[in-house]
Parts: sequence; structure tokens; C-alpha cells
Amino acid sequence: MMQVNRDSILVVSATILAFFLLMVGFFMLLGKPPFEMIGMLLTYALGDGYSISQTLAKTTPILLCALAAAVPGRLGLISVGAEGQLYAGAITGTAVVLAAPGLPAALMLPAMLTSAALGGAFYGYVPGILRARLHINETITTLLLNYVTVLWVNALVFGPWKDPASQGWPATISFPQAAILPALPASRIHLGLLIGIALAIALHFFFTRGASAQKIRILAGNRKVGEMFGLNFGTWVIMLMAMGGAIAGIAGIAEVSAIQGRLQPTISIGYGLTGFLVSWLSRHQPLIILPVAFLVGGLVAASDALQLFAKVPAASAIILQGLLFAVALAVPGFIKSMRPGYER
Amino acid sequence: MMPKAIACFENVSRRFGDLVAVNDANLELFQGDVTAILGENGAGKSTLMKLLYGVYPPSNGRILIDGEPSAITGPADAMSNGVGMVFQNFSLFPALTVRENLLLAWPKTPFWASERNKGTSEVLANLTRLAPHINPHSKVANLSVGEQQLVELCKVLNISARIVILDEPTSVLTPAEARHLHGFIRQIAGEGVSVVFITHKLVDVEACADKIAIMRQGKIVDVSIRGQRSMSEIVTLMMGSDVKRTMSPPALPKKPVERLFLNKICADAPGMSLKNISLSVASGEVVGLAGVAGNGQALLAEVIAGIHPVTSGDVVLDGQNLVRRNQMETLATPLGYIPEQPRENAVVESMTLAQNLSLRTLASGGIDVNSDVQALLTRFHVNPPEKDRQASTLSGGNLQKLVSAREFGSPRAAILACYPTMGLDLSAIQTIYLEMFAQAEAGAAVLWISEDLDDLIAGAHRIAIIREGQVVAVKINDGSLTRDKLGALMTGMNLDELVA
Ligand SMILES: Nc1ncnc2c1ncn2[C@@H]1O[C@H](COP(=O)(O)OP(=O)(O)OP(=O)(O)O)[C@@H](O)[C@H]1O
Ligand SMILES: [Mg+2]
Repeated sequence: MMQVNRDSILVVSATILAFFLLMVGFFMLLGKPPFEMIGMLLTYALGDGYSISQTLAKTTPILLCALAAAVPGRLGLISVGAEGQLYAGAITGTAVVLAAPGLPAALMLPAMLTSAALGGAFYGYVPGILRARLHINETITTLLLNYVTVLWVNALVFGPWKDPASQGWPATISFPQAAILPALPASRIHLGLLIGIALAIALHFFFTRGASAQKIRILAGNRKVGEMFGLNFGTWVIMLMAMGGAIAGIAGIAEVSAIQGRLQPTISIGYGLTGFLVSWLSRHQPLIILPVAFLVGGLVAASDALQLFAKVPAASAIILQGLLFAVALAVPGFIKSMRPGYER
Repeated sequence: MMPKAIACFENVSRRFGDLVAVNDANLELFQGDVTAILGENGAGKSTLMKLLYGVYPPSNGRILIDGEPSAITGPADAMSNGVGMVFQNFSLFPALTVRENLLLAWPKTPFWASERNKGTSEVLANLTRLAPHINPHSKVANLSVGEQQLVELCKVLNISARIVILDEPTSVLTPAEARHLHGFIRQIAGEGVSVVFITHKLVDVEACADKIAIMRQGKIVDVSIRGQRSMSEIVTLMMGSDVKRTMSPPALPKKPVERLFLNKICADAPGMSLKNISLSVASGEVVGLAGVAGNGQALLAEVIAGIHPVTSGDVVLDGQNLVRRNQMETLATPLGYIPEQPRENAVVESMTLAQNLSLRTLASGGIDVNSDVQALLTRFHVNPPEKDRQASTLSGGNLQKLVSAREFGSPRAAILACYPTMGLDLSAIQTIYLEMFAQAEAGAAVLWISEDLDDLIAGAHRIAIIREGQVVAVKINDGSLTRDKLGALMTGMNLDELVA
């Protein structure tokens, strides 16, 4: 047991060190003073109340999308569909607001969130049923369906849902106050974060305690044996795909309602894929996803700010994220290969 | 002067956590020698050879190859150093053909090689020598386990290995295939290859070993030249005491009550179809199902267990129909079912022993493992009997025992056992037969699939013969059945022709 802990401490510190060195190299390539830049990154991520609020605002969709990938991931499925499910949730959630803009908040918020979750769930259910019944690879279908929903949003906001008062700008009307998710005063920390944290904790128990946890573990470990004892793999595929979709759908409506205030074409800056990577780095463990999503959220928020204030290229945010993921995937394997005695 | 050893273990140990799998082992392998390694389940045989093959490094001691410390760091490296190993569980790609599998493993394969490329035909040379009956263009998924084993062996021979390690190759072969393999091993040994042959079967040792190394609890306790020791001495060294094979099936009940009934089963799988199989097994009866591997017994087992759907027919147990009508339906098997190749088909390797023993409970919504798991592990001699150990770390034989513990551990209405003693040592085989017969005694209908005709004749009340997907005969085992008679039925040869 001690051994395991020592190993993970070694892995984590080596990962941080390697990421730090790569960042130094990256900023030197850009011709910027590396240590000053890294210092600024830290400040913009965590320096004051405002930075923290920005970080948490980015953490929220990443966290939800990571959970959305983790749920089917626990069964061994590789779903990259969180991005599309996020957009699907944004669409169906917005539909409620547009259909009944006069609802009071007490009705509006639950109706909007439920509708978003259902939209996302439907968008997980479709690849789920294709996989379960027709053996069509879920990675491919979720990837392709991503493009479809993004285009649906465009079709809607350029077409029937366009706010006539907005001139040429493709967007729906601004959400009424009752449809805005409650947030902490003067910050962008909204109800979505609370939902994400609550879901992470609930999923932790769902995946580790109770009857479903055991069934999922059996099917993920050996599908054939699970089926021999009466478990239906297909049913679980459909259920978990839909459940993951629902979580991503909530991420979608939360972005629309709390951050943007209206549905417009660019809701997500690739949160779906980022979430997918966070989930895989955390081995689909909700309680590990929590801090990892926060870390990545901080990096995303800070590099946004860096781009604004230190005039680094816009691509820096993505490059830094890519470096972080590459390091986090490579370092554990590297350490393992350095130590011949390391057991699987 | 002594010839120089091609490989030499010097005080080699390997620990997994607290467990010492190989303990201070010394062993030399010589060119042209066949070294048999014997020992009870979990003695450390597979681990010792995995150390040579580079799967794990030794915790202590060193391995010399040609007198130099071995620099092998992994299986790929071992292969390029002329060491090849065929594992207890295989590593073929089931969706590819035999030839494609061989090409993939062949160092000389150019990456552009295609199915039609004539230049790669020498990849099949060993296959033609060893197993001419295997069609190189058939999919591996359609081969019997024994045939897959032979393809694995060809893969190793294709790398022109100087040391060939075979981990229990004969446990999945029919007696005829095994005899063929013995001859082949003698042949490659004659060509100068050093062969290591891990086995539990004394016939293997008699047929082709030059040296016999015996392992016990991680130690090599004896190395002798064949003929130096009697077989009972060897058994005593292996097990700590001489184990006698005794088998006595329970007496048949006076009035047989039909319990398990197969009614005109037809089913299709790629390369195999079952035609109109009917058979009934009474309460308390042990019915053996004999057949040459690949004649439909594996498919029949999956149909009875509700894993593979039927095209028509029923399997009825106590009035309940067990067959699956289509691919989407799943049924929980109420049978005690031991499938072949338990590592793939019967356990969840990522779960603990306790959880694997409680799969029925867990799959039907239970949260806790059964309370009797510890007692079961002890009763079936699963070693080490640690209920929280992960199943993947068990030795091949102990994994087989684990499955038996789950399936035979509580009373069942019917038992379907496919090669239940595969890979087991002598005393474990005794335990399994005792438990299987105890189930019959308690009223279960037992259907027992085996290739070991001697065991079937000693233990079954009736023996059914399956050939090309059909039950061609059902014989009452009244003392008049012989290996030859059954063998003739299995291969479809007329007994009179055989005698003539
Ligand atoms: N990766 C592993 N982690 C932990 N323990 C292991 C591992 N591999 C093997 N062991 C343990 O080492 C011991 C020796 O195992 P090994 O597979 O060498 O036995 P074996 O002699 O080949 O037995 P069998 O005849 O059953 O195949 C067993 O107790 C087994 O549980
Ligand atoms: Mg073994």
C-alpha cells in the first residue's frame, strides 16, 4: 500500500516538473521571459477573487463533460460525444425558454435543466442503441454526431430562432432573468458548478457502492461472463451512454444560460474534447476528475488572460493544454519503463 | 567434458509482493535436450519460464544465456534472441486467418506482404510439417483450442528459436494430437533446439523428456535424467506424497428421473453447425460427451448455457427452457457451468477471488460477496487462498480450481463441465472429480465434456459421441466400452475396418 502511494507521489511530481520545463521551453520559443509568464499564468488562474471566478467558470463545463465521458467510460466505452451532447442540451434547454419565456424561475429552471438533460441523453442514446443493437462503434458515431449538432445550432440561430432585434447577429433573444442560472454575486460561479460537484460525488458512490457498481464492473471486466450470469450488456450501454449525454446536456444549457445569456453559435471552445481527456487522465474516477478539471480550468482561464494581456498568440491556450495532456500521459509510462521491477 | 548450457538459472528468485513465486532456483538447459518441468498448481513453473522469456525480471539471482548474463528485457527481445514461448493462454487474433497470424509474428514479413504474395509461403512451412490438417486460410476463431495451440507453436518455430518453451501444451490437445506433438518435439530437439516442456501429464514425460525438473513451492527440488526415477517417485517429489488415481462414479438411482433434456437442437456458428442434437440426462446421472475437438462440443456447451442462440430446439432443465432465441436476449444460466478456457470465459480477471466466487449474487443485484468464500477457497485448494487477491494473479491451474469452486460449491440442478480438469495437478484432479460426482450423488444431472477417454470410461454412466455437429451414438458404460471402440466412433471409422 505504501509503495502505491510513493509511486503516485513520484508520478505527480515528475509530471508537474516535466510540464514546467516544457512551459519554460515554449515561452522561450515565443521570445517571452518564461518565469515571468509562468508567474502570470498562476496569478491569472488563482491570484485574486476575479481570477478564481474565471477559473471556476471554465472548470464547470470541463468537469461536466469529463463526467459525461467517464460514465460510459466505466463500461469500457470510448465516447467522444460530449461536445455534441453539450450542444444538444443547449438546443433543447433553449427551446423551453423560447416556448415559454414568461415562466417564473421556480418552474423555468427545473424545466430548462430537465429538457437540456433529456436532449443530451437523447444524443447519447442514439449512438448507444447503434452500438448495442447493431454493433456500430460508438467512438465513430459520437464523433460524427458532434458535427451535426453544432450545425443544428447554426441553422437555428441563423434561421427560425434568430432574434429579429439583433440585426445581423446570429443569436436568440437574451434569456429572461428567470432563465438565468443563479450565480454568486459579481462572479461567474454559477449553479452549474454545484451540479457538477454534486454529480461527481454521486457518481463516485454509484460506481463504487451498490448493485449497479458491481454489475458495471463485471461487464467491463468480462462481458461474456457478465452475460452468462444474466446481465445485458446492450441495456447497460444504452443506459450509460444516455446518462453521460444528460450530464453533457446540462453543461450546454449552463453555458448558454449563465455565461452567454442566449444561444449563439460558439457555446463551447472544445469543452467536450477537453473533458474527454480529463476523464481518461483520471481513469474515469469522479473524485479525481474534480481536481483535474479544476487544474485544466485554471490553465484555460489563465492562458485566455495571458493572450489578452501578454500578447501571446491565441493558440497558446490550446498548445499549453496539449502539452499538459501529453506530459500527463507520457510521464507515468516513462517512469514505469525506467523501473524494470514495476508490476502491472 | 560437459557441454555448455545454452541457458542457466543461477539462484533465481521472483517475488510478487509477499509471495515468493520462484525461490532460489538453479537449472541448466542444454542444446538438443527436452527438459520437462513438473510441479503442482502454483509451484512456479510458468513464472520461472516467464523470467527467461523476459516477461518479468528476477528479483534475485541471474539468468545466463550462452554463459553471458541475459540481457533480455521483454518478449520481443527474447524472440530476437532466439527464445520463444507458447503460453497457457494464447495471443492469436481470432478475426484473422491462420496465415495472417503467422505472417504478423514473422520477423521476415515485409509490411506490404499480401495474402497473394508468393514470397511469403515459407511462413507456412512449419505449419505444413506440424499440422497439415489445419487450413491456413481459415479464421483462427473457427479453430479448436488444440488447433490454436499448434498455430501458436508454429509462430514460435518460425522465429527459428534456439530455446522453445511450451507451457502445458498437451492440456488442450487430443491424445492423438499430443502424440503427434511428442514426435515433433523429438524432431526439433534432434535439430538442436532446447525444448522446455511444462506439463502435468506423466505420459508427456515418458514420451519425450530427456530431463525432468520438479518444482515445489517455488523451489526446484529435483532434476533427474529420464529413467533415473520411477513415476511414483516423481509424483511423490511433486506432491509430497504418492497420489493414486481412484475414480468411482456414484451408483445410479434405481428409478432414473429425467432432469436435463436436449431436444432437437440446431444452431449455427461460423464454421460449425449443430444438427438435431437430442440427449437426456437423469437426476444423479453422469453422461460423458466425447468427441474430437472441433466437432461441435464447444458450441453445444454455449447453447446449453444460454450464451449462443439456437435456430431451433430446446434445452429443458426441470421444466424451464434455457435456450436463447436471439442475440439480444440474455439469460442467467441456472447450471453449474465450467466453460473451456476459464481465463477468457469464466472469470473477471480484474476482480477479486471473493467477487469471482460471488458473481451470481453480484450479477443479480447483491452488493456483498458471499459469506462462504473463504471456506470454498480452502475446500477446493485454491492457492493462495486469499479472498481479496486479484484473480489475474492466480496460476493457470488455480484459476481453473476457482471456477470449479464457484460452480461445484453449492448444490446445482445440473452441471455442464467442459474439460474441468484441464491444467490441474494430480491431487486437484481428484478433488474436482470427487466434487463433480458429489453433485450427481445429490441429484444433479451431469453432462461432462472431455477428450480423456480413460477418465470418461472410468467415471461416466453413459457416453455420447459427437461428430461433425451430431450425436452419432450414446453408449451405456457397462464395462464393455474401450478406448478403441469410442475412438472409432469419434473419428467415424468402422470398428471392423479398424480390426481388419
Ligand atoms: N503477476 C502476479 N502477481 C502476483 N502473483 C503472481 C503473479 N503471477 C503468478 N503469481 C503467483 O505465483 C505463484 C506461481 O504461479 P505460476 O503461474 O508460476 O504457477 P504454475 O506452476 O505455472 O501453476 P499452474 O500449474 O497452475 O499453471 C502462484 O501462487 C501465483 O498466484
Ligand atoms: Mg502455469
